[in-house]
Amino acid sequence: MEGDERSFRVALVAAELVNPRRGGLDALAVLERNGWGVMALPADWYPDAVAGPLLEQVAEQVDEFARHGYDVVLIGTRAGLDDALAKLGRTAPPALPQPGGAQELETFLHASATAAPR
Amino acid sequence: MPDAPPVTIAERGTRASILESVARVAFVAHCLLNQNAKVDGGARCPGVYSPLVDVLRERGWELQQMPCPELAFTGLNRFWAVREQLDTLAFRRHCARIAQAVAAAIEAHVARGDDVVIVGLEGSPSMGVRVTSSDPARGGRPEWPDGAPELTAGRGIMVEELLSELERRGVPKPRAGGITHVLPDHDPAAERAQLVALLDGG
Repeated sequence: MEGDERSFRVALVAAELVNPRRGGLDALAVLERNGWGVMALPADWYPDAVAGPLLEQVAEQVDEFARHGYDVVLIGTRAGLDDALAKLGRTAPPALPQPGGAQELETFLHASATAAPR
Repeated sequence: MPDAPPVTIAERGTRASILESVARVAFVAHCLLNQNAKVDGGARCPGVYSPLVDVLRERGWELQQMPCPELAFTGLNRFWAVREQLDTLAFRRHCARIAQAVAAAIEAHVARGDDVVIVGLEGSPSMGVRVTSSDPARGGRPEWPDGAPELTAGRGIMVEELLSELERRGVPKPRAGGITHVLPDHDPAAERAQLVALLDGG
């Protein structure tokens, strides 16, 4: 992948950590700083009829990343994600369900990063 | 500057809740938060495209991410492609399925009074808003030269399907613009100015 700067690292991130309330953990900033790509999960307030099709898309994309050996992790939680992954025969990726702060998240990310495939 | 008129705690709470409930929400192309979804050779940074996020955060916009229509259809090992190569019934159906999911989310935001914009990727055969890529003759063994004049005015297929689905639902068409970092004449300052104009245009 000459000239391609991808990290081969993808984090599924709960909506409230992508768009934190004032004083909340800004996971997007931590992931950006550490070179991880982000897949933002549907907002918690979306009705199931809205969130379900979006989660189907997330699962299909996770499947493609996993097939190619990319690191995939889950930051936070999202109801319905496990079911969407299970329909494709996938289990939930390694997760940090409740990151207590930026330092804890960075430690988790460093521990989750394996040798990037080339 | 005169002080704001006094308000009761209840009034202040109501005003705050109104401000919090009326959000500004940007639906952004998948790859702008995840460059790992790009076609081989196309990732401009490891993960998140910071210039976009910086502007959105500075101006108080929430982010929602649209699925990448090419990633789940033609996969990570796909070739670079122009519109004509992707414009099949099967790819249209795939985009329409994604468009229904995204349009439902946009509809939910619009229903509660949120200001919504779409941020695509100029030059993309799928996610271009004003610039896409086109070459009716392209196909077969990939031997085309670098710099082939494939960029042209127009929308990508996914953006077309999304706007069509919003119209079908009776949802007012959101303001839309695109990030330009894949265009040969990319100018970071101009890109930022166009993005600010898009966000402030409401």
